[in-house]
Amino acid sequence: MTLAAPASAPGVYQGAANVIAAVMLLLEFGMLRQALARDQIRLYAAQSAMISVLAIVIAADRNLPDLYALAGLSAALKVVGVPLVLRRLLGGTVSDEETPGVAGSYTITPATAVLGGIVLAAYGFFCFGSLGIHGPAAPATAWAIAGAMVLVAFGLMIVRRDVASQAIGFFSLENAISLAALVVAAGLPLILETVILFDGLVAVVVFGMLIRAHHVRAESLSTADLTRLRG
Amino acid sequence: MSVALPIPVIQLLQVLTVAIAAPGVTGIIAKVEARLQGRRGPRVLQPYYDLAKLFRKEALAPEQASWFFLAAPVIAVAAYLTIPLLIPVLTSYGLPLGYMGDILGGGFLLALASFVIATAALETSSPYAQLGSSRAKTFSAIAEPVVLFVVFTVALLTGTDLPYALAATIRSSAGQIVRPGHLLAAAALFMVILHETGRIPVETHTGTNEFGMIEEARGFEHSGPYFALLKWGSELKQLILFTILANVFLVPWGLAATQQPGAVALAIVALLAKATAVGCVVAVIDNSFAKLRLFKITEFVAAAFLLAVLGVFTLYLGGG
Repeated sequence: MTLAAPASAPGVYQGAANVIAAVMLLLEFGMLRQALARDQIRLYAAQSAMISVLAIVIAADRNLPDLYALAGLSAALKVVGVPLVLRRLLGGTVSDEETPGVAGSYTITPATAVLGGIVLAAYGFFCFGSLGIHGPAAPATAWAIAGAMVLVAFGLMIVRRDVASQAIGFFSLENAISLAALVVAAGLPLILETVILFDGLVAVVVFGMLIRAHHVRAESLSTADLTRLRG
Repeated sequence: MSVALPIPVIQLLQVLTVAIAAPGVTGIIAKVEARLQGRRGPRVLQPYYDLAKLFRKEALAPEQASWFFLAAPVIAVAAYLTIPLLIPVLTSYGLPLGYMGDILGGGFLLALASFVIATAALETSSPYAQLGSSRAKTFSAIAEPVVLFVVFTVALLTGTDLPYALAATIRSSAGQIVRPGHLLAAAALFMVILHETGRIPVETHTGTNEFGMIEEARGFEHSGPYFALLKWGSELKQLILFTILANVFLVPWGLAATQQPGAVALAIVALLAKATAVGCVVAVIDNSFAKLRLFKITEFVAAAFLLAVLGVFTLYLGGG
């Protein structure tokens, strides 16, 4: 009952890179369906940790010592820094009591959101996959997963009606782009990688100010309250 | 000089191992679970005593029930005992009857067993038995796409849908173990097993609370030896699913590669150790997560579906 020749395994290094990419995509889905902002922040930190691990794996495999530095820097900023800033911004109340407007900001039920996310992920996956980008350091699957992650992150920002989730969706979008950059151009000069990283930091500051302004004005993080601003 | 066991004996041993060990595995899980909750718990052998007690009791059937009500538990156990012939329980090489059905064949047998029990429950006109069977059918229909995608993953990985082929593929190289396609499919299957054995997300597998009851409610009207067969059947199903997870997907090592009695005995011990380990993990998960409300089951299954679909996706580009 043979169907076709079995797909040959791509090797341990590529397999590990693909698994890390797949775990990052799963964490993205976790953020999509997670109701509480503090859990979303935790998942974001875990996702950022995965990208540092991926950088270390690629560094070890391709003998690129620059990437160790990048992994350390990215871990310090995205695993520790950004989540800390986000927790502060959400009023410091996140650990005790959920910030108003975040829980239950779904526009559709979590199961539907996940199924919609699967469709988005499939679209991104096959679009990116069909670009046929292959490099010595680029497992095609990880590259395609990065494409899927970008779309799922957009989906997260669309289906949630609170600024905290939207900010987290945006930051994880940056993670997806870092993943794509890592698998396609692992040998990129460190300075460029760092610039991309600090680009993300600007976004953190901007989003932080927006969250703060919205919180002060509406006493809620829900964007549904923004309709009141009209006339 | 070495003695080789005849092939039919090994094939019979596969069935006997599962048949005899299944209540023991359930007993161990119950013990671990009790310990996790700070209780002393029942003896490990308690499920055997329960079965022995029930087999000695009188069997009663509702007046309006037909012969099918009494035949159903027997058919179900027969179906469960056929599955160990199809999957690698003790040997890494395919036994002659192992090729009479693929993964789908095993799936059909599991579905047949579940179908006859549900039909028997409908015969009783007892509201709880009917509620249990209707829930069981609805939820297994929801989980069906996940199982199908897991089968697709196996097909893409091996080019066949034979459980022996997947186990051999995974043993062949380390690269096969770390493929996301394989890991995601294994995780999806694990979630389906949690769902199918009534551990999580909504059911208390031993519970008698009607709100969360699924599997337990189906046997409400059965009694005596027939009820014993139903209980034994669900223990068999649990061990079979654990065996598929361990020997086909996760750790297909420790199986007998020859017909030596020593190798086969070692494989029996290894199987019991693996099933116990999976059972302990299940017990820990069961105790660490709160049960969901009944209608939240779709969220759990959607998560399992996500894993299975991603597994197929990653394989499609050849790299996964």
